[in-house]
Amino acid sequence: MEYLSVHFPETRRVLIDGRDQGRTDRTIELEAGTYTVSLSPSDDVKPKKRRVRLSRTSPIRPKEITFAKT
Amino acid sequence: MPRPSVPSGAAILFGLFVLGCAHAPVNAPLDRYRPDAGYRFAGLEPGDNTDSLFVVLTFSGGGTRAASLSYGVLKALSETPVLWQGKTKRLLDEVDLISTVSGGSFTGAYYALFGDRIFSEFESRFLNRDIEGELTRALWNPATLIRLASPSFDRIDLAAELYGRTIFEDRTFAALASRPRRPFIVINATNMSLGERFEFTQDRFDLLGSDLSSYPVARAVAASSAFPILLSPITLENYPSPPGYERPEWVQHARGDYNLNRRRYLEAKEWEAYNDKADHPYVHLLDGGLADNIGLRYVTDSIRDADRPGGIRQLINQGKIDKMAVIIVNARTEPSERIDRKPRAPNAAEVAMKTATVAMDNYSFETIELVKDIADAREQALRSVRDCRALLAQRCPAAAPPPALKGMTFYIIEVNFENIADPGEREEFLSLPTSFKLDPSVVDRLVQKGGELLRQSPEFKALLKDLQGAPTAR
Repeated sequence: MEYLSVHFPETRRVLIDGRDQGRTDRTIELEAGTYTVSLSPSDDVKPKKRRVRLSRTSPIRPKEITFAKT
Repeated sequence: MPRPSVPSGAAILFGLFVLGCAHAPVNAPLDRYRPDAGYRFAGLEPGDNTDSLFVVLTFSGGGTRAASLSYGVLKALSETPVLWQGKTKRLLDEVDLISTVSGGSFTGAYYALFGDRIFSEFESRFLNRDIEGELTRALWNPATLIRLASPSFDRIDLAAELYGRTIFEDRTFAALASRPRRPFIVINATNMSLGERFEFTQDRFDLLGSDLSSYPVARAVAASSAFPILLSPITLENYPSPPGYERPEWVQHARGDYNLNRRRYLEAKEWEAYNDKADHPYVHLLDGGLADNIGLRYVTDSIRDADRPGGIRQLINQGKIDKMAVIIVNARTEPSERIDRKPRAPNAAEVAMKTATVAMDNYSFETIELVKDIADAREQALRSVRDCRALLAQRCPAAAPPPALKGMTFYIIEVNFENIADPGEREEFLSLPTSFKLDPSVVDRLVQKGGELLRQSPEFKALLKDLQGAPTAR
């Protein structure tokens, strides 16, 4: 498995390719591959979407991405 | 000289009438894509069945032998009280998902449709019947022979009619969707053209542009148990995609990731094959055992794959599952092997049997190892994070710790004849035939053995210990 951690100043739902896969600041476990990450609700989120490619992560060092609050 | 007999007008009319009725039900097209409607795991209300204790059953193929063994396990689960989140309940009432193949599909589908009625009805309605004899007699009925002359009616349709009329009360998937409570039943067949597993869920039928609701459960079970040659395949129509149904985002991603994740790439390729309506206007289905004879692949895919709608991975990522038990009921046999005792090469029948079963058995073994590996890898990941956080706290308290990983315990429980302690009895069970006709005394022993093997499993005992429950004395 690969590991992803998504950050935002507030707790939001994390959508992976449009599906709810948990919350911000929690480790999300996914198969290796490319995904589109977005948050819900997304009105005050920038950018709206981010594309990530997960490979060679570990539970101790997950891929980390951050969304900004507008 | 006797004149050749000429069919009377009444006989001709009767023949035409019977031929006119010789149409098996086809799957209906979907008028509009409704992701929240139809028979889907996400559409079932959990009710008192918690997500935090997630119980999965898989029922293998193996005719009445497999159906009896899996029924014995269901019965044992109904007699097993557990204490979970302050409530005492039957472990059976925590079962969330049942994935079935062939003979095991009869038990799983019956329980999903009728719930506890299975414990008073199933033995007389299915297990103790001579289904093979009934099918053979129905086949030689003159009216059937006329119907079989029609290109749109085949032996499998006859079997599906018999199952529907005498076992499943002609219920459709709408009955399952309207219950609407867990467990979710996944009846697995094999797509002949793609050589892949095919499950009877609305998510899969969306790909065919088809509405599963009006499809008879008996036909799904018939497809799941359509043993090649003996029974003909079941055919589904692959309709144009309904309005609102679009190519999922993951398919595009996966198609570009061949070297990174080939499994996901192949799943995307399979999605595109179904979506190619011109090249695949029909889908022909055979026994689910050809693609996976223990029904476990749906579960391993669902644990790994975040792309799957309403899958187990989504529940894990949402932090909803604390304990997950996978109970694999595997009615595999190992008939005493004699070919190595003879100098002559095995005959054509022996070669055909080995060709059909060797790869299947090896694949089943590897699938069980795979689910164990998945569970071990998850526990190892959890240990790594915990150890790292503990070490940092001890030796480098100023450093930022790695993010926590949600704790979750797996219990992989396998019920199979290999675990029978007594060598003579083990040999006896491992030599049972695969058929839809078993002596009632053998059925009784299989039902009892299913419960015994479950209760003696070390992993099952560990689960009960953690749930503060204990199996009832037998």
